[in-house]
Amino acid sequence: MIEIQNLSFGYKKRKLLYKNLNLNLEAGSIYGLLGKNGAGKSTLLKNFIGLLFPKEGNISVNGFEPKKRWPSFLETIYFIPEEVYVPALTVERYKNLFAPFYPLFNEEQFQSYLEQLDVHDKGKLNSLSFGQQKKFIIAFALACNTRVLLLDEPTNGLDIPSKIKFRKLISGVFTDDKIIFISTHQIRDLDNLIDRVIIVDNGELLLNASISEIADKLCFKSVSDIPSTGKVLYTEDSLKGHAIVIENTAHEDSKINLEHLFNAITENPAIAKSIFEY
Amino acid sequence: MNNTFNLTRFGKLLKKTLLERPMHTFGFTGLMLVISLLLYFVIKTFSHLGMAPHIGMAQTITFFGGLIGGSFFLASFVFGYFSSNASGSSFLTLPASTFEKWLCAILITGVLYPLIFLIFYRIMDSSFVAIYHNSLDTASPFYKEQYERVYNFDLNGIIARNIYVMFFIYTGAMLLGSLYFNKAAVIKVALVLCAIFIFTFGLNWLMAIGLFGSIEDAAPFNHVAIRAGKEIGSLELPSRVGKIFLYAIVFVFPTILWLLSFTRLREKEF
Repeated sequence: MIEIQNLSFGYKKRKLLYKNLNLNLEAGSIYGLLGKNGAGKSTLLKNFIGLLFPKEGNISVNGFEPKKRWPSFLETIYFIPEEVYVPALTVERYKNLFAPFYPLFNEEQFQSYLEQLDVHDKGKLNSLSFGQQKKFIIAFALACNTRVLLLDEPTNGLDIPSKIKFRKLISGVFTDDKIIFISTHQIRDLDNLIDRVIIVDNGELLLNASISEIADKLCFKSVSDIPSTGKVLYTEDSLKGHAIVIENTAHEDSKINLEHLFNAITENPAIAKSIFEY
Repeated sequence: MNNTFNLTRFGKLLKKTLLERPMHTFGFTGLMLVISLLLYFVIKTFSHLGMAPHIGMAQTITFFGGLIGGSFFLASFVFGYFSSNASGSSFLTLPASTFEKWLCAILITGVLYPLIFLIFYRIMDSSFVAIYHNSLDTASPFYKEQYERVYNFDLNGIIARNIYVMFFIYTGAMLLGSLYFNKAAVIKVALVLCAIFIFTFGLNWLMAIGLFGSIEDAAPFNHVAIRAGKEIGSLELPSRVGKIFLYAIVFVFPTILWLLSFTRLREKEF
């Protein structure tokens, strides 16, 4: 559904943020795009939706070229930026003005999502808190039932209960014909939500793997002594000794720690690539 | 699905644009009409204590300010989504074509607002002129002369036509400018226009001085008034060349500005 071929993009011609990036994203997955601040996560999302144009290479989303920003394409994709825009309208008025542009918008779902996210109709939207505004837009975006949903730092500005509700809602509404693409640097917020992890750093794709593939190839555990053999990608001192990420040669079952995974991959990209044969 | 123009979708877009920020559209239009009314009244009343010829001044200034000022600011509102990442993204990713978004802006600034303003202006002007005519002493020996000194502003006259040209140029410049300058577009476009104006007139003046020495006046693409002793002679462009420049200023230049705003919107990255 999203195909990227040899994408090169940079805000300045001489300094490319992405160079020859290739990526295929299939429907039926919730992708987590992880990267440091300034790594180009939002930039990649903006290329998907057609807000930024590739300098070289091609992007195809739902069979469309995003750069053209055709209505038939924009109906199939919804982008929630880090900071959301809500005009001085009531919930009802906003829905009446914006929902008609999305043919699959579902009124009942919209009300249900608002309820689940604790957004209550109290006057104009711009008078709501930032977190409430964001939850309102998330509810609206989900009710639009677009095939692709792009979320840029969706949990920024949400309190802890709202983050939990957000995760529940996303996993609850997800269907196999959709792609949900979440970009964040708040890695813990994606725990138990995503089923594929994409890590970018310095304009390079370091990892694109499913959760099961990661669990299969890496082991996350606490040890008293750091092993001297095997490919140790990451170590962190902890109360019980050391938390490590190591190549899973013994086929052990372990729970993925996304923060440790991110550090492991960004600190040892070459070893990671060899493990994932990427 | 037609990705260029769909009437139903365009209707939804127009409705959304007008009602999404009603203070920017209806509120501002209403404000401009009130300002025009006050401006007309103040100039008419205080410019020479209501003497007849100054109604003409009130008519011209109000027409100029109301039409050009109103559409200039309105043009900055219709594309004024780019001051924040969120609103800019929302505007560009709304499922409507670039052509529809552009046409919507054109319709509001180039058709709807001028139409509302012209209707209001005609009613306001006719009322003030009627009040003036009714205030005259019919027994006065100067009645006929006083009566005929004031008449409705000619919306097809030379002054009005010059103002229409300026309206198309300034509104087109603002539409284009608001797609280049994401923040404080009105101020930046106004500064650019001032800079172009000063540069064009300044350069023209310097060239005229360089060529003719002592000059009285120099209007770009039009004429140079040369001083020779106590006499002043006007050197005008040859009729054919003058017409070319006139057509360029009246038709080509505004058309380029309005069409460029479409191209810029299509190519806009945000």
